[in-house]
Amino acid sequence: MKYLTLLFAFAILIIYGCAPQTVQLTPTEQKQVQALQRGDDTLKNRDKKTGIIEEELAARDKTKEWSLKEIMENSPLKDVYFEFDSSTIKPYYFPKLNEIGSWMKKYRNIKIIVEGHCDERGTIEYNLALGQKRAEVVKNYLVNLGVDDASIKTISFGKEIPADSGHEEDAWAKNRRASFKIDQKG
Amino acid sequence: MTKSKITLIALVMMALLFTTTTAYAKVYLDIFGKSFKKITIGIPPFKGETIDRSRIDMSELLNKDLDMSGFFIVAPQSLLDKELTDEGVEKQEIKFSNWKSIGIELLCKGKIQKINGDLVLEAFVYDTLDGTLMLAKRYKTKTEDWRKVVHRLADDIMLAITGEKGIMSSRIVFVSGGRSRKDVFMADMDGSNLKRMTNYRSITLSPSISPNGRYLAYTSYREGRPNLYIMDIDNNREVYTDRTDGMKTGTTWAGNTIFGYSHTLGRYSNIYSLNVENKDKNTAQRNDGIATSPSFSPDGTKMVFVSDMHGSPQIFIKDLPSGTPKRLTYSGTYNTSPALSPKGDLIVFVSKFEGAFEICTMNLDGSNQRVLTVGGINDSPQFSPCGRYIIYSSNKGGKYNIYLMLFNGESKKMLKFTDGEETQPKFAP
Repeated sequence: MKYLTLLFAFAILIIYGCAPQTVQLTPTEQKQVQALQRGDDTLKNRDKKTGIIEEELAARDKTKEWSLKEIMENSPLKDVYFEFDSSTIKPYYFPKLNEIGSWMKKYRNIKIIVEGHCDERGTIEYNLALGQKRAEVVKNYLVNLGVDDASIKTISFGKEIPADSGHEEDAWAKNRRASFKIDQKG
Repeated sequence: MTKSKITLIALVMMALLFTTTTAYAKVYLDIFGKSFKKITIGIPPFKGETIDRSRIDMSELLNKDLDMSGFFIVAPQSLLDKELTDEGVEKQEIKFSNWKSIGIELLCKGKIQKINGDLVLEAFVYDTLDGTLMLAKRYKTKTEDWRKVVHRLADDIMLAITGEKGIMSSRIVFVSGGRSRKDVFMADMDGSNLKRMTNYRSITLSPSISPNGRYLAYTSYREGRPNLYIMDIDNNREVYTDRTDGMKTGTTWAGNTIFGYSHTLGRYSNIYSLNVENKDKNTAQRNDGIATSPSFSPDGTKMVFVSDMHGSPQIFIKDLPSGTPKRLTYSGTYNTSPALSPKGDLIVFVSKFEGAFEICTMNLDGSNQRVLTVGGINDSPQFSPCGRYIIYSSNKGGKYNIYLMLFNGESKKMLKFTDGEETQPKFAP
């Protein structure tokens, strides 16, 4: 009986000995704990920051999505017209081309094709060459404004694809043009 | 040459049984003179024991061929009464005075036989003035090639009377189509045997064929932009392509291996001469601005081309490989689309003249410029190999068609091969 009591008391002592106690921290340990607690706050702030970053990223994606559609709705890519047998840009079109230049420098990922066209008069062969010159003068103008050379291709159609199939000056004037297309492949 | 042509020639050569002919004693027509009087020829229906229409079909085709040649006035069949058409083909059976009295100067008589799937044609041409025999020939060919043998006879009659073979055995290569869809085709002069040479859902332009008929060159947008292709016609292989940036067009040949084309890109334009076999490429012309529409002489020593180097499109000539360009045209502000005659005596071109675009000719030094057409947009003139005919396209009739005329502008005839707008014709062997 005496042994059991002693054993029981001993067990209780051990049990109570293992009970959790308030940790007494060293100053270093205290600093570490404080740092951890601050870290929790920093993480929360970092999430907030990440939230901002994420928002920004999301904003950029949206820019790309409506870029082609919206850009085309507001695009300044309108035809430029020429005199008969001429590949000289009339000063009247300088403002329009300046606008195109700015627009292309703003949306640097856009690539375009400039098409050169002629009216039905004259010969098929010479018009193929003249159309090329018309496309190139427009490209050169834009490149001189600072648009990247590699973002503009030129292609001539001579008199093969008129915009207006009439046979008088009204129609002819509409056909002597440089027109623009977005280069989907390039 | 194609196999069937070789076969035909072999058959003709093999079966040719000549009676005497004085075919080359006189040249009746000096067609390079200022103007000439056409000769009236009568061609009654051929004789023969065949039941079908061949005798009539063949003589009718010969009538058409000689009419198209521009050198003959072909007597209408209505002028020939039964006494005349019943007559035999041999000299002793013919009453020449009957023919002479209705104004017929030359008389062509033919007789056909069909033997074992072959067609034999005997043809005689007489001068009705004194019965002189101008031509006597026998041709043998497969029955289904009856058109070919009539064309051969027409060309031989031309040779006998004018000193030069006719063009009725030639073919024409041309472009047909409409807006945004053009392809290259080839056909016989009489419109038969139409062949489609390209079939891209695109615009294909400026075809030309090497003199031996082996290569076909053209510019096509089939890959999205105007690239230049030279194809071996027999096996449809690409022999050469130029897929660089810019406009590559204006194809021309000097002999069977030298090929020329222009390349418009950037500040300078180039005209290249390429050896199709070893792919050696040289610059035949290079200048600021535009240089295009090259046309070589058959021996490759001369080239005419168009350039705006003096401010407006004008025509220049230079010796190849490295002569100095000499300007030929000074009239007007638009002279383009030149072609050198294989005879080496004339250049045909297009000039803007009184609001229209007219086909003109001039000598190789630019002198004696003549306007041959009257109104409309006329384009792409080319000479026949014999230099006597000019083929071109014109919208004078409302839509673009191909026309044939003599080098002096006479005897204009419209040729029609397809239902599309037809442009850029060239003679092909």
